[in-house]
Amino acid sequence: MNLTKREVKGRYSQSFFGVAWAIAQPLATMAVFTLVFSRLAKMDSNGAPYPLFAFAALVPWFFFMNSVSSGTLSLITYRNIVTKTYFPREIIPLAQVCSRFIDFFAAAALYVLLMSAYGVGVGVWSLMAPVFFLLLILFTVGLTFATSAMNVFYRDVNPVVQIALQLWLYLTPVAYPLAVVPPRFRLFFVMNPLSAIVEGFRSAVVFNRAPDWPLTAISASIIAAVFVVAAYMFKRMDKYFADVI
Amino acid sequence: MPLAIQLDQVTKRYRAGRSRTVVDLIGSNIDRWRGQAQDIHSPTRGRIDATIWALRDVSFDVPEAAGVGVIGRNGAGKTTLLKLISRVTWPTSGRVRVAGRVVSLIELGAGFHPELTGRENVYLGGGLFGLTRRDIDRQFDRIVEFAEVAKLIDTPMKRYSSGLYARLGFSVAIHANPDIVLVDEVLAVGDAAFRRRALEALRQLMTEGKTVLFISHDMWNVRRLCDQVLWMEEGRVRAYGAAAEIAERYMSEVNVLALANQSTALQSHRGGTGEIRYTNVEIVDTAGRASVLFVPGDTLVVRAAYRADRPVARPVFQVAIIDVDTGLVITTATSRPGDAPDRVEASGSIECCFPRMPLRPRQYILRLAITDSDQLASYDLVSAGPRFAVSGQGTGVEGLADEEDGLVSLPFEFVHHARDVRAVHQA
Repeated sequence: MNLTKREVKGRYSQSFFGVAWAIAQPLATMAVFTLVFSRLAKMDSNGAPYPLFAFAALVPWFFFMNSVSSGTLSLITYRNIVTKTYFPREIIPLAQVCSRFIDFFAAAALYVLLMSAYGVGVGVWSLMAPVFFLLLILFTVGLTFATSAMNVFYRDVNPVVQIALQLWLYLTPVAYPLAVVPPRFRLFFVMNPLSAIVEGFRSAVVFNRAPDWPLTAISASIIAAVFVVAAYMFKRMDKYFADVI
Repeated sequence: MPLAIQLDQVTKRYRAGRSRTVVDLIGSNIDRWRGQAQDIHSPTRGRIDATIWALRDVSFDVPEAAGVGVIGRNGAGKTTLLKLISRVTWPTSGRVRVAGRVVSLIELGAGFHPELTGRENVYLGGGLFGLTRRDIDRQFDRIVEFAEVAKLIDTPMKRYSSGLYARLGFSVAIHANPDIVLVDEVLAVGDAAFRRRALEALRQLMTEGKTVLFISHDMWNVRRLCDQVLWMEEGRVRAYGAAAEIAERYMSEVNVLALANQSTALQSHRGGTGEIRYTNVEIVDTAGRASVLFVPGDTLVVRAAYRADRPVARPVFQVAIIDVDTGLVITTATSRPGDAPDRVEASGSIECCFPRMPLRPRQYILRLAITDSDQLASYDLVSAGPRFAVSGQGTGVEGLADEEDGLVSLPFEFVHHARDVRAVHQA
């Protein structure tokens, strides 16, 4: 908890706009996506206003991307703590993920403003949003456990993760709906838990309709498996961290 | 007596050298494919598979409420030991058992964030030591008071001096209600006043029944704080026992080793105008044998040979003894008539004798000079001459207290009077 605070304060101290930067990233990306995908490529957004459609997916996406990105390096960044004091080391990558909550909620608040601006009402299915947020957190934490632990042993993990994150955005239905994916690629998208998460957020807060239950169920099981394996792996590698870091 | 720390045949092995990269893997596979012998120690690729045995088969027990000093040369495994006990790292084999909560002061303020204020960092650091917010609230004033940072407590820590940083780190650690405190040479930072208070605080913890493991190269502090000393050497326990005895043995051995390795040649770059120079300086005992180790009360003779390029009138030969830690002890010179000839030419030698030296067990270094008769201009100056050590084994002189430390050993005796002696004189 304290580590989260340290991370957040460290990130935004000595910057004039402070936490406002947290919403700049999804907002700017939304603007570019709107221009490129909606205006130029005439992407179908299932009848919803495209900026809203994109933003609802970009907010969870950036939560995921930023968490994994800084989380992968977290054990190395905090090597001082790893090598000098003992405490449960899961907390270090966990604090990275938690420190992105504030960004997430700041962007979510902005989303509510956008909704009223576009005259989109809040429906009963928006109650599903916390469920997808939970899935998002589980997946993010699990993946961060794995990448941060592996990066201690092989620093090659970090560049691989950074490149993967770049590509992952385009292989996840963030800029476009899952519905436009041709059937022969569909399995690939189903195996990507983020597809279900961003689609789930959209169905909850953009379209106010039920999520794709089978898709959600598959993703939830993948996420659970990833989390368990990653947490186990982290615990196993834990005792060697201080020696090799 | 219940045990606080128990190590049972603990071995710790590290892989040395660089870690294996993909290039190494590809390289070794290419070698194999080309039918070449795999030379993992090839200089171009660096040593990959070498291992370092940081600890080998280490076993010892520390009872509760004990103060144990850990001494040994660099690389003897002292810090590895502390890391194993604090569970930062794990033994390769063997077992480490620890009863109670460990707080390690391997590096002070390791968890602090420079952008946060002192106050925020107290909470952050306390949290890393396992304290809850409420615990810290309760201890906060005492932590700040001990570190003496009240004025800067709401200033970001990047504005702190390094001493202040360490002070706050130390203060948070000792207020974290530990059962076992591990201290790794961290008292080297901070000023003398803080060091004294830190030692006092550690002693206080011991009287409260906490166990303290204290790594230090400062035998003075080790002997003040600890009743037991663990002497580590090349990853093994060399000796474990009463602090005074082990520390003394360690110091004389270190001194002998350091002195045995000193080069006998005088430094080539030195001061002075050079008309006359020392060519050889020796330290000998009363029997004339070269020696580097003395006990208090021994007689020490400095024998210095010189050569003059041209005749020099009334040169003054100076010999000074410098305590390596505390500085100049004495400067002697051939300033009295008859100490040295009025005129020297070619070569000769001079002897300076220190009978019944009252020096304390420490390391000393000689400084030698040859000056003109006014001791203003120097012909030669050897600022770092030969070294010697005084060991504490055997006092040699009656009436010298062995336990008392200080700069010199003066003979002393106490007399007790039942009445106020001064009052008798006045009456």
